[in-house]
Amino acid sequence: MRRERLRVIQSHAAFVVSTLTALFGIFWLVFIIGDILIHGIGALNIDLFIKDPAPAGVEGGGLRNAFVGHLMITLFATLIGVPVGVLGGTFLAEYARGKKIARFISILSDIMVSVPAIVVGTFVYAIIVKPLGHFSGWAGAVALAIIMIPVVLRTTEDMLSLVSWTVREAAFALGAPYYKVILQVVYRGAATGILTGILLSIARVTGEAAPLLFTSFNNSFFSTNMNEPIASLTVSIFQYAMGPYDSWHAQAWAAALMITVFILIITVLGRLIIKWRYKK
Amino acid sequence: MTGQIELEAKNLNFYYSGNIHALKQVSFFAYKHNVTALIGPSGCGKTTLLRCFNRMHDLYPKNRYEGEIVFQGKNILSKDVDVINLRSRIGMVFQKPTPFPMTIFDNVAYGLKLKGINKRTELSERVEKALKNSAIWDEVKDKLNVSAYELSGGQQQRLVIARALAVEPEVLLFDEPTSALDPISTSKIEELLVQLKSKITIIIVTHNMQQAARISDFTGFVMLGELIEFDKTDKMFTAPSEKLTEEYITGRFG
Repeated sequence: MRRERLRVIQSHAAFVVSTLTALFGIFWLVFIIGDILIHGIGALNIDLFIKDPAPAGVEGGGLRNAFVGHLMITLFATLIGVPVGVLGGTFLAEYARGKKIARFISILSDIMVSVPAIVVGTFVYAIIVKPLGHFSGWAGAVALAIIMIPVVLRTTEDMLSLVSWTVREAAFALGAPYYKVILQVVYRGAATGILTGILLSIARVTGEAAPLLFTSFNNSFFSTNMNEPIASLTVSIFQYAMGPYDSWHAQAWAAALMITVFILIITVLGRLIIKWRYKK
Repeated sequence: MTGQIELEAKNLNFYYSGNIHALKQVSFFAYKHNVTALIGPSGCGKTTLLRCFNRMHDLYPKNRYEGEIVFQGKNILSKDVDVINLRSRIGMVFQKPTPFPMTIFDNVAYGLKLKGINKRTELSERVEKALKNSAIWDEVKDKLNVSAYELSGGQQQRLVIARALAVEPEVLLFDEPTSALDPISTSKIEELLVQLKSKITIIIVTHNMQQAARISDFTGFVMLGELIEFDKTDKMFTAPSEKLTEEYITGRFG
């Protein structure tokens, strides 16, 4: 009898503790998102998207330069990171399958995934910004691409490995050379998974400020020249939130809201693709 | 029944990487337009032998063949053989259905496109013909643009057979094609194999001895990498000449 009671008590205790910890986690999440919503929505206005920053201390102005700069950096990071990641993942899953080198690179990129973003920022500072002598949009794009590559590479490798080996053999048995098997059969089977991985990696890098501080830096003026310092939302948030003016704080809130919404949209899109895939 | 020999293994030895001697001095042949079955206990080398005929082992490093496999007068193990061309003449169907992640039409058209056939009209004709020959046309003719994954396992297996047939191979190798299927799908595929032998030569690996007895003209019994006995199926299943064969067929081991 006593043992039974003890078991019931243990079960209740486990239930209470796990519920409380879950609530604790959810509380902060809701708090952060709620705070961003409350402050951000109030600060949203059309000027934010169509005007460039006003001189320091002057009311008004917007973050058009940061929106455009942010999109450009993310776009070029994607254009650099995705091909390298997808092809690298293909090498690991296909040509180096089962070899030691594949295992080694896999583990290495798992470590790379968790390298702090600021380390990547300083690395790119040392190899691009310092030698060239100035900050640039390209340096920012390269920094974000370096963060993307291991994520895309590992997702690609995993998704390709999920395509069963006999399907490849079936394609070989029809007389297909290996590159056609990969391009026409394996990629098709893994396409939705790889696409989801790419979207999630974009969501991951688009919220980064640290690597951009050392690379693309910031620019108070509108610029689309990737060879120059270029504004980004995350660095603007950092700068404005630290600044002394209320109008800056409001714009930082609005920018934070827009980034959160952008990440939300990408993540939901990724989820929808997965769901759509498993319905089939 | 008998006639011209289509495919013949002469003193064939096969080693997997690491020098595992998987086939020992196998001499075996398949008559043109006959069904030849390979039976034997699990892991005995039936599938290994089958995969020699389309050089499937070449996909993996350090596998090694010794001896000869003669296909229409030419040794297909020799170095100058174009493996890609060989595989379009000797097709293969696997144990589990292997539809490609594309539409039913594109699945069947895949091998044709590899051969450089891209004209829409010719593709349609040959896809339809292949689907009819594999007795699945009536089930799929209204949904050719639907993903092949939407078909049942048995339908997928017949689709895969249609895909192999579309390139008009001279030989089709079947590696336990019904072991993942239900009895009704199995009987459909068995009927299909018997129909197909008027046009092509079939070699089938099976674990199911009744299946071998029902559909094959010749049977080879393989054990521990050796071909123990090879004979007409009728004779093999009624009066085998080797004691091992008799013991296996009567279910005393295996």
